[in-house]
Amino acid sequence: MNLPGYYEFCCRVKIIAGHDALEKIPDALAYLRARTPMIVSDKGVAGAGLIDIVTSAIKDGVTIGAVADDVTPDSDLQVVHRLARLYREKRCDSLIAVGGGSVMDTAKGVNILISENADDLMKFSGANALKRALKPLIAIPTTAGTGSEVTLVAVVKDHERHLKMAFVSYFLLPDVSVLDSRMTLSLPPAITAATGMDALAHAVEAYTCLAKNPLSDAHALAAINLIGENLVRVTRDPGDKNGRLAMANAATLAGIAFSNSMVGMVHTLGHSAGSVCGVPHGVCMAILLPYGLEYNMHKNGHLTAELLFPLGGAQVYAATPEGERADKVIALVRRINEDLHEASGGRHPRFFREVVDREGKQMVPREKLPEIAKTALSDGSLFYNPEDLDYDDFLMVMETSWEGEPLERRKIKKG
Amino acid sequence: MGTIREVKSGKKSLKKDYVAIMMWFMGRAIQAAASVDRDVRKEFAELPDRFTFDLCVMPDGPHMIVGKDRKGYVRYMGWDTEGKRTNLRIKIKNLEAAILMFTFQESTALATARNRLVVDGEVPHACAAVRILDIVEVYLLPKIIAKLAVKRYPLWSPGRKYIGRVFVYLRTVLGL
Repeated sequence: MNLPGYYEFCCRVKIIAGHDALEKIPDALAYLRARTPMIVSDKGVAGAGLIDIVTSAIKDGVTIGAVADDVTPDSDLQVVHRLARLYREKRCDSLIAVGGGSVMDTAKGVNILISENADDLMKFSGANALKRALKPLIAIPTTAGTGSEVTLVAVVKDHERHLKMAFVSYFLLPDVSVLDSRMTLSLPPAITAATGMDALAHAVEAYTCLAKNPLSDAHALAAINLIGENLVRVTRDPGDKNGRLAMANAATLAGIAFSNSMVGMVHTLGHSAGSVCGVPHGVCMAILLPYGLEYNMHKNGHLTAELLFPLGGAQVYAATPEGERADKVIALVRRINEDLHEASGGRHPRFFREVVDREGKQMVPREKLPEIAKTALSDGSLFYNPEDLDYDDFLMVMETSWEGEPLERRKIKKG
Repeated sequence: MGTIREVKSGKKSLKKDYVAIMMWFMGRAIQAAASVDRDVRKEFAELPDRFTFDLCVMPDGPHMIVGKDRKGYVRYMGWDTEGKRTNLRIKIKNLEAAILMFTFQESTALATARNRLVVDGEVPHACAAVRILDIVEVYLLPKIIAKLAVKRYPLWSPGRKYIGRVFVYLRTVLGL
């Protein structure tokens, strides 16, 4: 047991999980003394019929004050303001966010404005600017990956002024998160694969980076076990309800783990590749995860080795000599990526040169790699990575992950 | 019935003085390193004009204020925050946490991981400030101690390491 000299852990979100968990929402709202929720969502979720499932599950128990299903793919300040006005006009008393990370972030932004009775969201940006509890917020994730249903962070973009505002406060934690298998059944295989690998990256980095602690470890290990058993299965068989519920649980467990012990270089580079080239976050995580483990091996290989049991199972663990377990974990992560590539009909990329947009155009041209490496130097998640990286190190990782070659360990500077 | 003992707020003077002296020396060393080391110079060059940062201990100091003056030269600006506008403030949450950092029992990265620091300002600027602090620590400290303070001890040429160290120490002591 790696017991740190000091750590902090907090998760006060009530989790309701099951194949019929949505039906429990009226009770949850009553407990929170709320009767008229506003549903916040986006067109994709509404188009997939998920809002209908939610409303029909709860309409006998509550009055739905408003349904706003036009959240943009990137959370937007104007949308936050507009939804706050709608909330006030319709005299709602709580929020139900149905969607992915952007919907959750938007709902959290709306909650700040309505709870503080404010017009300027910027006043509350940064860490711990909120001083009191907000209105009741129920989060219903429709992907199994981001974990934002249990995180204390919201990011809202001001597209006019090209600003990205981050809000960090325990008051931003949803009151209740509802994990229902019906919410992810229609997720296409490629998105199932990418979001599932996002959850795996959360759990693995939470377990192997500097802010790890026994409580986040427990959540991370449970998440890795569920992902190892279910991710490839549900990507192959999207209608597998038990597998879907398992992945929803895994994403939440991983979310609890990483929001308490943070993440490292996989996210550092992933954020940069996302911001420079627009690569979906889950895709970046899938590609970079084995490289992050390889790069840090000389610092935390013993921790990576411990992941073999939950990821590969008892038999694989027992059959692998102790000194080879960390390498086996990396090989297994690469194997999962290969299986997901095959299960998604080739739509799940295994390395950056394979990433294409909807028109089939390459999203990460090789000449963009230096810009990604430079951007990574400004990302705060690097603080939590066990080993340091400078520009040359970031570039080396990007070049190898672009080609799909393993890292040359002799090139990793060890100090 | 037991007596109620009044606990008066007190000052851990010795520890506070130690941290203040370390910060004073570190501030002057940053100014010195900005003249001697190309990487420190480059980090400052990429920060905004007249950028100033304050490394301080909560709740009431000590402070170490370093920034670029009108001409772009890096200056140690003392410990008095009065009338100084800072772009970035890295706050160590309490004196005990500062002692752990300044006795090199805990690196900056570990202190961050243990939630002992608060950053007021932009994260990219904080990343640059930490890189600068790491380089200066490598100049000031013998390898065996510096390895505790930084995540990765750099592989510098002997010229950069030893001649640079002499110049950084000389300029720090002379306040150049």
